Amino acid sequence: MIPAKKVLFLLLAAAALPAAAYDRSELAEFNDLYKTGRYEEALEGYRNIIAAEPANPWAYYNAGNALFRLNRMGPAVLNYSRAFMLDPRSADIRANLDYALRQTGQTLAPDNVPKALHYIYYLLAEREIKAAAILLFWLACLAGAASFLFDGGGAGRAAGSVSLTAAGLLVLALAWLGARQTSPFTAAGVAVKPDGARMLSGPGGNFKTYASAPEGRLVRILDAADDNYYEIGLPREGIKGWALKTDIERL
Amino acid sequence: MRTISTLLLAMTLAVCAAPARAALSVSAEVDRNSVEISGNLYLTVTVSGDSASVPDPKLANMQNFNVYSSGRSQSISIINGRIATSVTFTYILTPRFLGVQRIPPITVFNGKEKAVTPEIQVTVTKGGQQGAAAQPTAQPQRSSHRQPTRAAAQGGPQIFVKAEPDRRSAYPGEQINLSIKFYTSVPLSSNPQYLPPTFKNLISEDLPPIRSGETEIGGVRYAFSEIRTALFALAPGGAEIRPLSVIAQIPSNEPVDPFDPNFFQNLMAMSGAQGKSQEFTTDIIPLTIKPLPPGAPADFGGAVGNYTITASADRSEARTGEAVNFSIALNGTGNLKAVTAPKLPDLADFKVFDTMSSLDIKKERDIISGKKTFTYILVPRAEGRKTVPAVKFAFFDPAAAAYREIRTEPVVLRVEKGAEGAKSVYFNQAAPGGGDVTPSGSDIRYVSERSGAAASPRLAARVTALPLWAHAIPAALLTLGFWLARFNRFKSANPLLFRFRRARASASRDIDEAEALVKAGRNNEAVSLLYDSFMDYLSDKCGVKVSALTMKKAGDLIKERFPGVGDRAMEEIRELWTALELRHFSPEAAGAEGTSDLAKKYALLLELLEKELRK
Repeated sequence: MIPAKKVLFLLLAAAALPAAAYDRSELAEFNDLYKTGRYEEALEGYRNIIAAEPANPWAYYNAGNALFRLNRMGPAVLNYSRAFMLDPRSADIRANLDYALRQTGQTLAPDNVPKALHYIYYLLAEREIKAAAILLFWLACLAGAASFLFDGGGAGRAAGSVSLTAAGLLVLALAWLGARQTSPFTAAGVAVKPDGARMLSGPGGNFKTYASAPEGRLVRILDAADDNYYEIGLPREGIKGWALKTDIERL
Repeated sequence: MRTISTLLLAMTLAVCAAPARAALSVSAEVDRNSVEISGNLYLTVTVSGDSASVPDPKLANMQNFNVYSSGRSQSISIINGRIATSVTFTYILTPRFLGVQRIPPITVFNGKEKAVTPEIQVTVTKGGQQGAAAQPTAQPQRSSHRQPTRAAAQGGPQIFVKAEPDRRSAYPGEQINLSIKFYTSVPLSSNPQYLPPTFKNLISEDLPPIRSGETEIGGVRYAFSEIRTALFALAPGGAEIRPLSVIAQIPSNEPVDPFDPNFFQNLMAMSGAQGKSQEFTTDIIPLTIKPLPPGAPADFGGAVGNYTITASADRSEARTGEAVNFSIALNGTGNLKAVTAPKLPDLADFKVFDTMSSLDIKKERDIISGKKTFTYILVPRAEGRKTVPAVKFAFFDPAAAAYREIRTEPVVLRVEKGAEGAKSVYFNQAAPGGGDVTPSGSDIRYVSERSGAAASPRLAARVTALPLWAHAIPAALLTLGFWLARFNRFKSANPLLFRFRRARASASRDIDEAEALVKAGRNNEAVSLLYDSFMDYLSDKCGVKVSALTMKKAGDLIKERFPGVGDRAMEEIRELWTALELRHFSPEAAGAEGTSDLAKKYALLLELLEKELRK
């Protein structure tokens, strides 16, 4: 009889196995390029890792570092933001994202929000909250079904308690997910061009330019239906407009 | 009344608080409010702040004056851990036009606060005899119109500009004096506008005031103005003095056409009030910057010049935990702005805090000299007689082409025990908890050696990648469980309903079993089975227990619950009941043939009753 803990460990290990989708020595090689100041070449390597492993936050983090050194602040903010969305608990990722944001006149945590609250708000990645909600939904349903099947018995009551607890946690997870919809990293993009992104009053070159989002500015993408333009909003300034999709990279 | 008092108190506090917030201030003054066109004006701008460094003032572009920097003087005071800095910038202004001229507001901005001076008005008047002698830039105006003719007759240019360094080769940091002379043999409509040169691998420092005079070149008498600039090379290799420009208004000598649309302008130009604008430039002057010789001492920080060094403390006695201002002053000639703080030896007896520097620059006899003072905050750790050892400073003397090392005298402090819990003085607000670590900058964190994502984001990716229909499975199971639970509860709550529905099927199974028993020759068991089955059937249909069921009661109940049941069916029930009862209680009468007939009759009755009961 294999203990349940061993089974769980094996499952998690199996889930982590594809992490080694590329050779570790390659990463060391790219880091050496970075170390010697060959940032363009290091960046190329990190981009290869991202292509192989789109869910690897460290590939984005390292690419962000290379871009920062190359003084390409917009793409650096974009990569740090992607890393942050995948692993918001990492102190390194938080530090570098905050540093890059400060270079572009922004901050990761608003000044009026306590740091601890901000940390809790971003404790889990959005995808992790969604996964937790799904698992809680499964647990609530299966435990609920068991409680119905063992109706009246001790096992049924225990299953009922588990089901209700899971349902309560599911509601909390959904509320958290709802609150995260106001995050600047949700439905967001980054102005990646060195000249920033011109904001037009309509989705076309014949409309007037009335504002511009500087390079590295996080913007909210309100509508992406147009072929060439995003409708974007700058919540801090309270303005919205249309910007070329080539000027804004979606997170 | 109470509200008014509160309001007054709030206003008083606000008024008191306002000056406290405005730490940065700037003031500007001129040495006189009226100046002759041939004279100079001293503009003094004083910037004060509560940090070790204050920003430089930003002078607006002034077309009505030529502006030359004449040096700066800085003073720092540290009282009870608070730093107050005051820097005085001196500029020499040479007016270009007559009349009331404005010096626009001067701003300073330190990234947080902004301070502005009011506008200053200066009246520029025509030069008298005395002023004219002092500032010959006005001489051409007083010169007769015969001069141009004379210059032209001699073949020399009427106006030209010349830039000449005092040496073409120097060490990095060694002073090179550049002389820029503007010569004119014709009267000018106004003082010319000077656009200084730019430099490659050189930094510059103005050397005011402007010299002027008269000279004869090639038989032509010229009035000249000279501007001197000190240059310091930054690194060995090539350096360049790039072209400078002087824009002058030259009176026009062309005849005035009365039908020309610009008749009045041309007339004004003729009269000398206005002229043609002409620009004069110089060529690029290359310089050679020699590398410093090898063998620099370990303490050499790049200083070039000739210096002396002294050290002092603001007091000779102190208590542990109290701050002592320890100053190192460097006096001498050279580019003091570029001189870095000497490195203090290891001071185990003291905590050493931020270094601040103040600078006084003099430009006497066209040599940049002065005093740079570095102030260190020392906090004694322990009581006793404590010594700050000699501080070494190394520099390169370009006159002797050799390195020199100088040192201070040791400074002795008598330290007494401070009061328990004495308030410590910290100058870095970012780290008030104080250790010996003082952040000096910030940067991004280094690249990561980690490969791949952690297990939880990977698991999350897999869970969220599940197809939508998969999540219907637990919902379906929940619904099924719920339905089953309800069904069971309903079943428990309505047992007779389910017995009524099951009765036919159960009876049919019994008949099949009875026929099997008949075939096996076990007639008595078959009859018993048929009898019990018939009783159970009637019991299930009538909704009463078997023990409480009699033939009459069964008949009454059937009639009552199922009024559509016909008499024939009732008769058949009675006949089968009687027959089964007879054979059940008289086993010897239960032959194989009779039992089989009973089974068939029971089956036919079931079919009939099922139809009748539905009516």
